[in-house]
Amino acid sequence: MQNSSRLALYHFWVAFGLFLPAVVLGAWQMLMRSPLPAPLDDTNAYYASVTRHGTVMAYVVTTFFAMGFGYAVTATSLGRPVRGVVAAWIGFVICLVGAVMAAVTVLLGRATVLYTFYPPLLASPWYYFGALLLIGGSMIWVVLMITNMSAWKRDNPGQPVPLAMFAITATAILWAWAASGVEIELLFVLIPKALGMTAQIDAALGRTLFTVTLHAIVYFWLMPAYIAFYTLVPQAAGGRLYSDTAGRLTFIMFIVFSVPVGVHHLFQDPEIGGGFKFLQSFLTFFVALPTLLTVYSLCASLEIAGRVRGGRGLLGWIGALPWQEPMILAVALSLVMLGLGGFGGLINMSYAMDNMVHNTAWVTAHFHLIWGGAVMIMYFAIAYEMWPRITGKTLRSKALARWQLWLWFAGIMIVTIPWHITGVMGMPRRVAAFDYSDPFIAPMGPLVIISVIGGLIVLMSAILLITILVRSQLGERMLAAPLQYALAVNPPRTVPASLNGFALWNCILLVLMVLAYGYPIGQFLFLKSSAPAYDVTRQATSAESK
Amino acid sequence: MAREQGTLNPYNPWPRIGWGVAATIVVVAVVLGFGFLARYQQGGPTLDIWSAICRGIGITADTGPAGEPKPALVTPTRIAWTSATLGQIAAGDAKHGAFVALNCTACHGEHGISQSGLYPTLAGMDAAVIYKQLDDFRSGKRSWGAMNAIGQALSLQDSADVAANFATQPGGLAALTGDRVPEPGRSLREPDPAKRLVFAGDPQRGIPPCSACHGPGGYKLGAPALQRQQASYIEEQLVAFAQGLRQNDIFEQMRIIAKQLTPDEIHAVAVFYGAGVGASGGLASQ
Repeated sequence: MQNSSRLALYHFWVAFGLFLPAVVLGAWQMLMRSPLPAPLDDTNAYYASVTRHGTVMAYVVTTFFAMGFGYAVTATSLGRPVRGVVAAWIGFVICLVGAVMAAVTVLLGRATVLYTFYPPLLASPWYYFGALLLIGGSMIWVVLMITNMSAWKRDNPGQPVPLAMFAITATAILWAWAASGVEIELLFVLIPKALGMTAQIDAALGRTLFTVTLHAIVYFWLMPAYIAFYTLVPQAAGGRLYSDTAGRLTFIMFIVFSVPVGVHHLFQDPEIGGGFKFLQSFLTFFVALPTLLTVYSLCASLEIAGRVRGGRGLLGWIGALPWQEPMILAVALSLVMLGLGGFGGLINMSYAMDNMVHNTAWVTAHFHLIWGGAVMIMYFAIAYEMWPRITGKTLRSKALARWQLWLWFAGIMIVTIPWHITGVMGMPRRVAAFDYSDPFIAPMGPLVIISVIGGLIVLMSAILLITILVRSQLGERMLAAPLQYALAVNPPRTVPASLNGFALWNCILLVLMVLAYGYPIGQFLFLKSSAPAYDVTRQATSAESK
Repeated sequence: MAREQGTLNPYNPWPRIGWGVAATIVVVAVVLGFGFLARYQQGGPTLDIWSAICRGIGITADTGPAGEPKPALVTPTRIAWTSATLGQIAAGDAKHGAFVALNCTACHGEHGISQSGLYPTLAGMDAAVIYKQLDDFRSGKRSWGAMNAIGQALSLQDSADVAANFATQPGGLAALTGDRVPEPGRSLREPDPAKRLVFAGDPQRGIPPCSACHGPGGYKLGAPALQRQQASYIEEQLVAFAQGLRQNDIFEQMRIIAKQLTPDEIHAVAVFYGAGVGASGGLASQ
């Protein structure tokens, strides 16, 4: 096995290995907060479980998947081995140690902070050190992506960087920008307090810093899916990419627009002025642009493929697509969920409408639909596409894979539609116990039970996923065709320097960040300090516990 | 290709487009957010442009009733959890506290472990709790004959010292930490009303679970641990809160909760905590 293949495989296995238990916890949580009986019904266990489910899904699965995908893309799209393999393995080990540290601390009940980094909720320092290692280790990956791309540019002067490599480097740069917020928060706000070096904690400063990470991280999760939309899907459909330039613009716009927008997570927090909330809310609307552009290009690419395959008429090309390919099926299901979730997102980020849904099950529904649904299903499809290439074994089998994707889609829809409704009815999120005899809560009961059924379907799908991946890996060795990325209809011969690198866009983002976050963060340091916060939770450190 | 030599050159198309679009978006957003929106915000007075910008930034000097007479401030306690207060409590000298504590044994028992339902066990109680209650007795915010006199006799430093001493005494109340071994039956489905109130509360009456602040598994600054506290003392305090005889809970949370509990519930919860809550299984027996 090639070294870069092994790198990718290990990363994928950590991601999917931790994914399954986290799905089990998610299903139990749904049971716990429903009117149905649940095993081990302890409200504290619910919050610990939310923390573990969220930490694993949001930070560990995504980071490992993106890193593994990045190494695979680098090797295949540039057509040469990844440079800096030793550093990559070191990064892998650091991330793994961090992930295990955080996970064990949560399991011990010493980090029940609902997986957010929102003080004054405070966890054991071990949890924060774990998070720091995980994020720090992934920065090695960021550096490797950037150096691999620039080394290739040096060796191929004047050549356009392959779109897949350009996009994964954009992902890495975005992650570096996004992670800066939580890194600063960990180092200067949370860890000093968790270690007892400071008596107080500036909760508002911590929360504001976390929002720098909080929204951009979502696009970090999303971008592997978008890379597949542009580079893998047209190929799997047997067609060509509609526009290479649209792809480059999409990833550039993600870099520029997904970071200076995080304050829309703090619309209900008093420490930030309304003007800045509006500014960032306004900027958030532009994050919809790359998605709209992507949907357009994707549909155009699929139409090209459908017509090449003999599809006729206005919609005939849709039927002509190779639906037996997991990748094509996944794209269609993903787009349905992305569309619904995207419109929900427009409500969340609207300065005024957010009032109706803030902190309700609506928000949980939104991000489960977008991330758990639209993005995760593309992760599965990418895994099915990559598995034969990195293990050298056939995928067993495509039929099972289609079942898995359909089950996942059905499960996620059945989970999230009732949540959207109960959210609008006023059901809060992050609450372990509801009294369903309350006349206000009672009408939500049947909806919650329906969503539990969805949760069980999702769990079945997750088990099926692992079964397929294990079965394939244990199966017959077979030579797989090397991974091919879609050719554009008009393959780029030269592209402007600005669309072949990120210097310009990093400069623009820097200016936007200073405008959008300079004062909201600076105010705590120079002009006013928020109310000092004390511990609202106490998590015993190893030093304290007897 | 030279590395991004055109990045800052305004005559190259992409830098021009990039900077132009970004600048336009920002200008529009700033005009709307700091001008229009802040100036004509619904539910507030229409402001002149300068005040509107200040409101947009978050400097809200324009809000609040200016010049209205303010009623005299009545607080349930003199203690605020400032860093100065927390610092003083943390600096308590347990050794000197042991000397002060000699005056307490008559009622609160040897080493702070009370033998009577009239007096609380102090061993293992959070230092901040003892410090606050002593100050409340000192200032008369909480009334209990002998304790008011004792509170006045102690200096702030003495309070911190004696609090530090009792906090470190073993064998009394179970320490409050965030840890809790998960156990079935700690939710609203639990039929035993005491266990249900302690671990799940009663959302319909707006009663949070006792354990969220008083343990096990929960901690709030200023809330005492209750596991293995004298049951009749707990019951008496809940009644005092319910009847408004005791009013030194800062946000009135205990008065609001206790008022809604039936006498049977008060008794059941007190007995439940007095027996050590998890004595039958859990963290109590550390």
